[in-house]
Amino acid sequence: MSTSERPERRIWRDTKTDANDEIAFHLEMRERDFRERGMNAEDAREAARRRFGRIDAITTEVRQIDDESARQKRRTGMWTDLRQDVSYALRGLRRAPGFTLVAVMTLALGIGANTAIFSLINAVLIKPLPFADSDALVFLWNTRASGEPEPLNPARMIDFRNQMTSLAGFAGISHLSFTLTGYGDPEQISGSSVSSSFFDVLGVRPMLGETFHAGTTDPNAVVLSHRLWLRRFNQDPSIVGRTVVLNKRVRTVAAVMPREFTWPMVTARPAPGDAGPELWVPGGPGDIPRPAIDEDVDLRTNRSAGFLRAVARLKPGVTVTQARAEAAAVAQRLSRTYAEDDGRGATIVPIRDQVSGGYRRPLVVLAGAVAFVLAIACANIASLLLGRAADRRREIAVRRALGAATGRIVRQLLTESVVLSMVGAGVGLVLAWWMSSFLLSLAPVDLTSGISVIDPRVLAFSLLVTAAVGLAFGAAPAFEVIRGPLTPALSEGGTRTSGSARTTRIRDMLVAIEIAVALVLLAGSVLLVRSFLGLTRVDTGIATRNLMTFDIRLTGERAEYQSKQVAFYTQMLDRLRAVPGVTAAGAAVTLPIGGDDFGTTYLVEGKPSPAGGEKPHGGYQIVMPGYFSAMGIPVRAGRDFQASDDRQSQPVAIVNETLARREWPGQDAIGRRIRFDDSSGWMTVVGVVGDIRHLGPSVPPRPELYQAVTQRSFPFLAVVVRTAGDPYAALPSLRRAVAELDPDLPLAHPRTMDDHIAHALSRPKFLSALITGFGAIAVVLAVIGIYGMMSWSVSQRRKELAVRMALGARGDALMQLVLRKALVLTVVGIATGLVAARIATSALTGLLFGVEATDLATLAITVGVIVIVSLAACYVPARRALSVNPVDVLR
Amino acid sequence: MTNRTNVDLLQGTLSALILKSLSWGPLHGYGIARWIELVTEDELLVEEGSLYPALHRLQARDLVTSQWTTSETNRRVRCYSLTEEGRQQLRAELSRWERFSVAVSRALQARKPSRAV
Repeated sequence: MSTSERPERRIWRDTKTDANDEIAFHLEMRERDFRERGMNAEDAREAARRRFGRIDAITTEVRQIDDESARQKRRTGMWTDLRQDVSYALRGLRRAPGFTLVAVMTLALGIGANTAIFSLINAVLIKPLPFADSDALVFLWNTRASGEPEPLNPARMIDFRNQMTSLAGFAGISHLSFTLTGYGDPEQISGSSVSSSFFDVLGVRPMLGETFHAGTTDPNAVVLSHRLWLRRFNQDPSIVGRTVVLNKRVRTVAAVMPREFTWPMVTARPAPGDAGPELWVPGGPGDIPRPAIDEDVDLRTNRSAGFLRAVARLKPGVTVTQARAEAAAVAQRLSRTYAEDDGRGATIVPIRDQVSGGYRRPLVVLAGAVAFVLAIACANIASLLLGRAADRRREIAVRRALGAATGRIVRQLLTESVVLSMVGAGVGLVLAWWMSSFLLSLAPVDLTSGISVIDPRVLAFSLLVTAAVGLAFGAAPAFEVIRGPLTPALSEGGTRTSGSARTTRIRDMLVAIEIAVALVLLAGSVLLVRSFLGLTRVDTGIATRNLMTFDIRLTGERAEYQSKQVAFYTQMLDRLRAVPGVTAAGAAVTLPIGGDDFGTTYLVEGKPSPAGGEKPHGGYQIVMPGYFSAMGIPVRAGRDFQASDDRQSQPVAIVNETLARREWPGQDAIGRRIRFDDSSGWMTVVGVVGDIRHLGPSVPPRPELYQAVTQRSFPFLAVVVRTAGDPYAALPSLRRAVAELDPDLPLAHPRTMDDHIAHALSRPKFLSALITGFGAIAVVLAVIGIYGMMSWSVSQRRKELAVRMALGARGDALMQLVLRKALVLTVVGIATGLVAARIATSALTGLLFGVEATDLATLAITVGVIVIVSLAACYVPARRALSVNPVDVLR
Repeated sequence: MTNRTNVDLLQGTLSALILKSLSWGPLHGYGIARWIELVTEDELLVEEGSLYPALHRLQARDLVTSQWTTSETNRRVRCYSLTEEGRQQLRAELSRWERFSVAVSRALQARKPSRAV
C-alpha cells in the first residue's frame, strides 16, 4: 500500500491506460488482502472482482469523466492564455511606441483607403440599382453608321415597341424643362415626360398616391420626386390631388416617389450630367413623351425628331446579347422600309453601363491604385515585423532557455501581430469613414445619390488581407528564431547570426518592392495631374472670363408664336445690354460644354448626297445675333446674324472654320448654300466663325452649323452676358432687367461659364485628385518603409561603425558606406518600378488628355522624386548613427 | 449484507466521505475504499467500483487532485490529495450534514402533535 514519493516522469498516456492501471491496482490490492485473510488465489481474485462491481462500465465512466474534464480545462486554459498573450502583446507594443505608431498608421492608411474606395466602387458599379430586378433593365438607342448612339424619333420608337419580342416592357422618356407657377415664386424645374408604362417598367412604387399606368393615365397628371416634394412643397402629406401649374398648364399631383427613387438624366453617351429630373408627366397623343416645347402635338408619324430615350425590361431568360441582336435585326428591317431610317442601326445598353458606364474605367483605375497602396502597406508591415522579430531574438532565446514552450512563444508573437492588425483596423475604420464622406464631397453630383458610406463586406476583406499579412510575417520570424540554436542568440545578442542576415535580405527586398510600387503610383498620379492641368488650360475657343449664363423658358401666349418669342428675346437682350457693367449679351438655344447638344446631318450644294452612306454630320446651334461677340468667338469671314435675318428674308447660316475647311478647302465659304437634308430648304452661308470645343475641353472641335433664332426659335433660351466686373455681383441687376419685362419669368440655373466648364471637368478632377492622394499616401508609406529599414540596419551596425570610427575612418566615407546600400536598393526599386509603370499606366490611356501614357518627362519627374525622397529617408538615420561618440557604443 | 443502505441516495455522502478520507493526507483509491470500509463498518459500498467515478468527478471539479507515482511492486499508482477548494467543500459538507441530521432526527423522534396549529 505504501508508495514511493518519487513522482512519475510523465510520459503522455491516454486516459484509457490511466483508468485501466488505476483499477487494476485496486483489484490487485484487494486480492492480496483476501489472500492474506486465507483465501486461495483463485477465490481471492474472484471475490475482489465481485466486490468491485461492473469493472468495464466503471472504467469507461471514469475515462469519460476525465476526457470531458480535460476538454473543459483546455478550453478555459486557452482563454487564459489568450488573455495573457493579448495583455503581453499590448505591453510589448506600448514599450515600442515608434514601431507601434508607424505600424498602426500604415495599417490604418491601407485599410482605410481600400475600404473607402471599394465601398464607392461597390455602390456605383456592383450594388443593385434601386429598381426591381434591375439587371433586366436596358436602354434602347439608335446608332449612326459610326456606331455612335443617339436618341430615337417617335415613329421609330413605336416600331421598336411593337416589333421587339424580347422585351417585357417599354417606355419612352423625354427630358424637358418646366416652369412652375401658382405655388410660390415661379421656378424652372427639370423634368421628364414619359410613357405611361414608365414606372411599371422600372418596377417602382410611389410613396404617396398612384403613378401612371398604361392606358389609365390622366394626361394632366404629374408625379413629384421626393426631393422636389421636400424642397418645394414642404413635405405636404395631402399634396396628392392638389393642382400645380407647369408651363401654364394645370396639372394634378398624382403621386410622390420615395426617397430611394433617383433617376438620372439619360444621355446617349454615358457621362456625368446634372441631377436627374424632379417631376414626371405622361406623354402626349399616342403615349409619346412630350417634346421639349411641351405642346400637344401628334408626333406618331414623325421620323425625324430624335429626342426620345427608351428604357425597357428584358423578358425573363433573355440576355442582353439576344436583345441587341433582335434590335439590330428590327433596325435592318426598318431601314429597308423607310428611306429616313437608312443607315441607322439600334443597340441595347444595360442600365448599369448607362448609368455608371462613364465611371467604370476611372473606378477600375482607382481600385488598382488603392490595391497598390494596400500592397505597400503590407510590405511595410512585413518589414517592420521582421525587424522587430530580429530585435527580439535575444528575448525569445532567454524565454526558451527558461523553459517556455515553443508553441506558446509562437502563439505570443502571432498574438502580437493580430493585436497590431486589430488596432490598425480600428483606426483604419475611422479613417475609412472619414475618407468616404470626403470622397462624397469630392464626387461629381450624379455619383452621390444612393451611396452607402462603408460596406461591411469590403471592410472585412481589407481586414482579412492585412491580418493575413500580419500573421504570415509575424509567424515566419518566430519559427526561424525557434528552430535556430540557442547559444548564439544568447551570447551575441543576435546581431550577427544567419537568421538576421536572412531577415535583412527579406527586408531589403520588401523595400525595393515598395519603391517600385510607389513609383508606379506616383507616375500614374503625375500623368493624371498633368492631364488635368492640360484640360484646364485648353483653349475652348470661348473667352470665359466674366461670362454669366442663365436659362429662360417662355410660357403662355408669348411662347406660342415664333414671332412673339423672337420679339421678346430681342427686347430682353437689349435691356440686358443696357444694364450698367454689361459689355455684351447674346443667347443660344443650347450652351456649349455640358449643355444639351443638337447634332444634324447636312448637305452641301453642288456635292452629291452620299447614297446609302453616312451624310456629313456636325453640331447644330441656334443663336441670337450678338452671341458670337458675347462669347468671344471671332467672326473670321463674312458677318454675324442680324435682326434683319428674319422669317421673311432668305434663310442664312454661319459655319465654323472646321466645317468650312472640310467642305470648301482653300475656297471662300461665303455665299455657298447648305441644307439639312434633301427635303429642307437651302440656307446661304453668310459668315465663318472660330472653332470652339463645344463638347468640352477634351473633345476637339467638330464641324458646327449655326442658324439664327430669328429664323427658327424655341420657347426656351440660354442667355450669356459678359460683365466688366464680378458676374455674380451683376446678377441682381440682370434679374431686375428681365423682371421689368416679365415678373413671372424665372432666371434659371445662373452660373458663370467658368463654373460651367469646371462642372464639365469635375470627373477628371475627381479622378486626378484621388489618384494623386493615393500616390502621396504610397510615397509616404514607402518613405516610412525605407526610413524604418535604414534605421534598423544602421542600428544593427552600430558597433561595426563605432569600431571603424575609433580606428579613424572619416565620417563622409562611413556615410557613403551606409548610403551605398540604400542607393542600390533605390536603383533596383526604380528599375523594377519603371517596367511595372510602363505596363500599369497603359490602363490610363483613355483617361489621359494631352499626355502620352509613356511620357518621358513624367517618368523623369517621378524618378527624381523617388530618388530624393528615399535618400532623404536614409540620410537621417545614417547621420544619427555617425554622430554618436564611438566610446559610448563600444564601452 | 442485505440491509445495506441504498447507494443512490448516498452519492453526495460518498463525495463527502472521500473528501474526509483525504483530509489527513494523500491516499490512492484503494486506500480511500479501505478507510470507508473501516469507518462505516462495511455498510456503505455495495460496489467498491462506484468510488472511482465519484473520485474522478471530484477531480474534474478541482476539489481533489491526483498524481501518478510508482509502488514498491513497480506498479503505477494514482494518489489523490485535497485541494484548497476541496478542503472548503469538506467544511461546507460537514456543516450541511450536521444541520440535515439534526433536522431528520428531530423529525423522526417527534411526538404526535396536538390539534392546535
